[in-house]
Amino acid sequence: MYITLDGVSRQYGSVWAIDRVTMGIARNEFVSLLGPSGSGKTTLLRIIAGLERPSQGRVLIDGVDVTELPPHKRGVAMVFQEFLLFPHRTVWENLAFPLRMLKLPAAEIEERVQWVVGILSLGGLEKRYPNQLSGGQQQRVALGRGLVGRPKALLLDEPLANLDRELRQEMEVEIRRHQTALGIPFIYVTHNQEEALSMSDRIAVVRKGRIEDFAARTEIYDRPKTAFIAQFVGRSNRFEGTADAGGHGLATHCGASLALPAPVLSPGSPALAFVKNEKLRLDAAGVGAASGPNRLACTVKDVILRGAYADYILAFGARELNASRPRSERSFLAGEAVLASFEPGDIDVFDVKGEQAA
Amino acid sequence: MTRRNFASRAAGPLLLGVPTLFLLALFVVPLASMVVLSFWRTENYHIVQDWNLGNYITLATGGPYVTFLIRSLVMATVVSVISIVIAWPVSYAIILYGGRYRLLFTLAFAVPFLTGEVLRVIALQGLLGPLGLINGVLMALGAAPLRFIMYTNIASAIGLVYLYLPIVVTVIYLSLLNFDARLIDAAKIFGASPLRAFFEVTWPLNLFGTLIGFALCFIPCLSATLAPRFLGGPNGTLYGMAMAQQFGESGTWALGAAMGVVLFLTSILAVLAIGMRVNLRRTGFTGFGRG
Repeated sequence: MYITLDGVSRQYGSVWAIDRVTMGIARNEFVSLLGPSGSGKTTLLRIIAGLERPSQGRVLIDGVDVTELPPHKRGVAMVFQEFLLFPHRTVWENLAFPLRMLKLPAAEIEERVQWVVGILSLGGLEKRYPNQLSGGQQQRVALGRGLVGRPKALLLDEPLANLDRELRQEMEVEIRRHQTALGIPFIYVTHNQEEALSMSDRIAVVRKGRIEDFAARTEIYDRPKTAFIAQFVGRSNRFEGTADAGGHGLATHCGASLALPAPVLSPGSPALAFVKNEKLRLDAAGVGAASGPNRLACTVKDVILRGAYADYILAFGARELNASRPRSERSFLAGEAVLASFEPGDIDVFDVKGEQAA
Repeated sequence: MTRRNFASRAAGPLLLGVPTLFLLALFVVPLASMVVLSFWRTENYHIVQDWNLGNYITLATGGPYVTFLIRSLVMATVVSVISIVIAWPVSYAIILYGGRYRLLFTLAFAVPFLTGEVLRVIALQGLLGPLGLINGVLMALGAAPLRFIMYTNIASAIGLVYLYLPIVVTVIYLSLLNFDARLIDAAKIFGASPLRAFFEVTWPLNLFGTLIGFALCFIPCLSATLAPRFLGGPNGTLYGMAMAQQFGESGTWALGAAMGVVLFLTSILAVLAIGMRVNLRRTGFTGFGRG
């Protein structure tokens, strides 16, 4: 592996901010560290950068143990959430900074800055100071400063959090394109699952200083390994209940009966089940069987139009369910009675300890 | 015209007018009267309204006054530089390690202010003088006393540093407080060693604050009277002290006024000379707004 974390831990006082993290990242790989705020993902990034020392464990970059190396000797670059451009330097000087520190000849500095100005469309802004730039432009300069020195890895700490949604989606595509073109690993810290899902090859879900799962993005989304991931990634309906005698079914507290893909639970044990919003199929009431396992008779409470698809808020007895359907399908109006159904394979079941029962 | 409209129209001139009057009464008028006085002369403790350049000719050609001015300029520069050299690590340490006691540490520096300048200088005289604590102890131990701290310019300099260091520390501390230390992290990530990061980021971004600290130490040092009088000894007369004497014992007020004008112009020139060399943009100064 190009970058290896080997049993890395970081203790603050009596708290383990990072707890025995072991992971490997390949060259060419785009990896996201996804987790809620305070989960330790930024600390993990700062340990890779050398801005924090691990209390235990080792960090290897390109086969070299860099655990004891200060940040300026590691050859990695970083893009910060608040950009942290040098306010007393022009755009050109900000971009030239990493190259000057590498003591490159002036001609090569000029050439490389021009290259980065080109790929990030910063032409014409070279003489401006950071406070004369828009947020999006500052973001591009920060990204440019990260790329210009051809680092061994680029670490990105919530770089898009301060941008508006449209700009963010544009930058997502662009960041991914640069990563592919440069062929260096990008390690991207975010609490935003959409960003993680749209760019990453693999996603590490971080929770309370530990890696909950580290797998391909489709794996994380489609087959969540733990209840936390099922809850955190994607939008789902959560059911709590008790396994039936055979372990094949789940009687939920809200009165639904779920048929599970396989007898995965010990009989009578409490369990959690998640069904992603888009897996809930909607049909007009009265078509097919009105009840049965995985078939829930609901009333549409509200419809939220998202453009290509619509979000339905459904009343099932006393609780609410959420369904997300493409607009190409038949649409429903508030107040209509509908039948929500899903396949056994669309249910992610966990026993209450949170580990997948399967 | 409605009342509200009138009030909002009157607010601007009022807000600007009060400070303008204040400045006129307490700054411009005294300064102007001093300039006028400097072109008159004094005879036997009487002011003679007789326009002439005599005072300025005396100052430019009379040996001691030129010496006093040069000595004062050197003294003020040396004291300001020493104060900054001491204040930087002190402020930096307070920022880094002060934690929640930061404010307390900076206030602790201001405690000597509460006693008044005369008392502070006399206390220092007691410490540095021939029978003072330092030399007293040295002599009691059988060692030779340190002559260079007994009524010398060095003793004056020690006194001035002691008097104005708290101001410099406070100013540099405030500058560092407003400095985003994460920029140092950014510099390190992009290949700067800690020392390089200091000179690339920390120093330029706090240069403006440092220069304000320099000016706030330099200007009062130029006109210092107490420290040289109590600590400086026979060869320690500084310009400000000589000026005070014109208004006191010798009663040559017109000459004193001319010295005041020279001091005022020197201070302005010094501040301008520093100011011209600084490109505010290069210190991260953002008071220009988005241009």
